[in-house]
Amino acid sequence: MAKIYTGRDGSLLFAGTTQAKVTSWSFQADLEVLETTTLGDSQRSYTPGIQGFSGSATLLYYKADDGSIDAGNFLSKVINAGATGVTTSDVVTLTLRLADGADENDIAFSAYITSASIGASVGEITSAQVSFQTTGSLTTASLS
Amino acid sequence: MAYPTLVPSSRSYNSGDYPVKTFRAQSGSESRILYGNRRTGMTLELQYDNITDANAELFLDHYDETKGSYTTFTLPTDALNGWSGNTDALDAATANSWRYDQPPQVSNVRPGISSVQIKLVGVL
Repeated sequence: MAKIYTGRDGSLLFAGTTQAKVTSWSFQADLEVLETTTLGDSQRSYTPGIQGFSGSATLLYYKADDGSIDAGNFLSKVINAGATGVTTSDVVTLTLRLADGADENDIAFSAYITSASIGASVGEITSAQVSFQTTGSLTTASLS
Repeated sequence: MAYPTLVPSSRSYNSGDYPVKTFRAQSGSESRILYGNRRTGMTLELQYDNITDANAELFLDHYDETKGSYTTFTLPTDALNGWSGNTDALDAATANSWRYDQPPQVSNVRPGISSVQIKLVGVL
């Protein structure tokens, strides 16, 4: 059956666990193209280069009944007191999902959290903005 | 094995000079003696961007074939593609041939794709 997807169909999974209070996510795929134009050509030509993927998400800073902070998994990757900074063990597994009932269209990948910001304002709900950069190939890409 | 018949991405040519010896007096007066009637020492830099590794290997093979900078060779017309003037103006001058000025510089861009930089000098 035909369907128009909306934000109600979207979700973000961190290591396979759906994050409860996600207000938005976005994902961008980039392809670096290498120019193969030669002398005498009138139009530029290219060959495919390296692909890259990145994205961002906004999550409410939300404490669940069990005391866990929904956005904490993301924030702790770059906002922590460790002296070693970010290491390869800080790679996260994320899944961006657009679902139509049991029909799930996923983008899954490993990524580093490259930025995280959080603030508090009078009269506003506290939310965290995170950006991520994938590493390696996508593990799932079932948008089509 | 002939020089690879590929069209470069960019080209830079320096037309060299005639064999001239210059003497300058303390007064600033200058005398020049011409020792030959053939221009030589022209240089040609060719850049081949984002070509396949197989094509990049052709340059390495040709460099090996010419024993590095030892043997001279002529260039195919492909090397001067895009130049609308007379090709002899941009090629090694009459009685000159090209030799490698330095080994081909190969830069690997991504798997299967490389860029090659060639520097040639025209010699009698």
